[in-house]
Amino acid sequence: MRMRVVVAVCAACFFGLTLAEAAEPRIVSADGSITETVYALGAAGSLAGVDTTSNYPPEVRSLPRVGYLRALPFEGVLALRPDVLLTTVEAAPDKTLERLKRSGVEVIQLPVARSPEDTMARIREIGRVLGKDAQAEAMVADMQQRVERIGAVAGNSPVRVLFLMAAGNHGVMIAGRDTAADALLQALGASNAMDEVSGYKPANREALLASWPDAIVIAESRPGQFDIAEWPQLAALDAWKKGRHYVGDSMLLLGFGPRLPQAMEEVAGVLAKVGRVARNGH
Amino acid sequence: MYWLKWAGLPVMVIDGAGRLAKGPALLMILGAAFAVSVVSVSSGAYPLSTADILAVWMGDLDDEVASMVLFDVRLPRLVLGFLVGAVLAVSGAILQGLFRNPLADPGLIGVSAGASLAAIAVIVLGGTWLGGWLDLAGVWALPIAAFFGGSGTVLLAWRIARRAGQTSVATLLLAGIAINAIAGAGTGLLTFYSSDEELRSLTFWTMGSLGHASWDDVAMAAPWLLLSLCAAPFLARPLDAFLLGEQVVGHLGYNTDWTKRAAILIAGLGVGAAVAVSGLIGFVGLVVPHLVRQTLGAGHRIVLPASALAGGTLLVGADCLARVVVAPAELPIGLMMALIGGPFFLLLLLRTRIA
Repeated sequence: MRMRVVVAVCAACFFGLTLAEAAEPRIVSADGSITETVYALGAAGSLAGVDTTSNYPPEVRSLPRVGYLRALPFEGVLALRPDVLLTTVEAAPDKTLERLKRSGVEVIQLPVARSPEDTMARIREIGRVLGKDAQAEAMVADMQQRVERIGAVAGNSPVRVLFLMAAGNHGVMIAGRDTAADALLQALGASNAMDEVSGYKPANREALLASWPDAIVIAESRPGQFDIAEWPQLAALDAWKKGRHYVGDSMLLLGFGPRLPQAMEEVAGVLAKVGRVARNGH
Repeated sequence: MYWLKWAGLPVMVIDGAGRLAKGPALLMILGAAFAVSVVSVSSGAYPLSTADILAVWMGDLDDEVASMVLFDVRLPRLVLGFLVGAVLAVSGAILQGLFRNPLADPGLIGVSAGASLAAIAVIVLGGTWLGGWLDLAGVWALPIAAFFGGSGTVLLAWRIARRAGQTSVATLLLAGIAINAIAGAGTGLLTFYSSDEELRSLTFWTMGSLGHASWDDVAMAAPWLLLSLCAAPFLARPLDAFLLGEQVVGHLGYNTDWTKRAAILIAGLGVGAAVAVSGLIGFVGLVVPHLVRQTLGAGHRIVLPASALAGGTLLVGADCLARVVVAPAELPIGLMMALIGGPFFLLLLLRTRIA
């Protein structure tokens, strides 16, 4: 009798273990917002390593880093013995990816997310890979709801927004067309004050003045990186003086990951002020 | 045949200036080259014990992944690293001899600038104007463009410096500087129009890497690299004559213009091929010949082979460090080179000054 119990317990343990193993593949995540999603889905334990664009949540810094997702080292990734390399179509070089596939690593390249719909599709896909479909569905449902609520508030009059990137020694760059920044503005129904430029370009101080936006959004790659004292032209803008500006983390604003609703809410808050000003003016 | 020239080296001579005996010194570098090769094969992010490596090497261990790491990743990387380091150092030695200036390096006659411009053009314009080239050349689009960009620029500089059958070394230098400036402007312009992702790619390219070396890369670059290495010893004696002044070369019975032409071709093609497969790796071409001259004397019959060995050894050694210091990530090799090389060179300078 006792023997039978022991066997049953052992069997249960064994199946429990194999199930857990089957459900949680070892993953190397090479993309900041994919890493965020893995954390948000509660699968941090399956992460064997991340790339240098993965900086959120802060716990991620204790994981091994395999370098930048456009210069992935074959041996470095392989050394972490992952079952899956979860990354985007931006991952490179092809040679590394191809070698990883040949050594039995499943390489999953997700499309780049540039809209709330893309983000939700991506979360579902990551949930599927992690065996966390239910959590992913719940997250998507919550996101859907919050995004719709923001759309209902923001979608009355198109606001012209100046979007800037403050990054390292490059100073400040303006975000033009075909950028994640532009995509965020589109998702909010706002228009880009610099839409004649494409990509991120060094800021021309006169052009900043000339753009005369309704609101200003600044993405920093490190907190406190942007110093308004160095940009009197921005401080002179009506939008800045009236407090219609938002300075936030670039990964939050541009990552199109699980924190997208938060990013949209923050920026929508600033856009809402413009609406009030316009109404007061009339 | 040309090995006979190397065999004719003065062996076991300790000269009056207290320099190292040449034979033992060469043997020492050879030993270092061997040691560093062993280290290179056995170090990397993927955990493989010495026993594993031996077993895989002998074919006793049938582990597909381990043998891929060893044979398809570490070995081509070692071979390419050694050849590239050797060619960069030898080209540096040749150009320093030709210009009679220890500051000359392959960058001076426009190789790096030309190769960069071509490579960055492929990275930035690959999706638009150069799409056809990308379709045609596939994964080789960038290395082939870099090779022609690099060696093409050198030939252009040489063509400018050539007048009435004579090549003026001074004009070559000035033409190189002008071409560097023009190519730099082109690179800057492309950088300005590049997207964020392209910017990252091209930044990494300019820092050099051996990390993605495969046998295909070796097969493509080795003919040029070996050609340049094998041809170099023929220049040893004429370059020795150059040390005495350009007029003397003719008096000693060498063809001055032929020497210049050969020197430029060897350096241009070799460095063009090196840059094409590994990106920009500075420092080796400048400093290795300098170190060799300081320890072994200025005769090119010793400087050229010793530079080749020492350059290859140094680059492979730097590559070993580059792949382990931030494992599982990798530092760009050009960066690593400057990190170890710069302070070392400075130390050497200070020591000679104090002495």
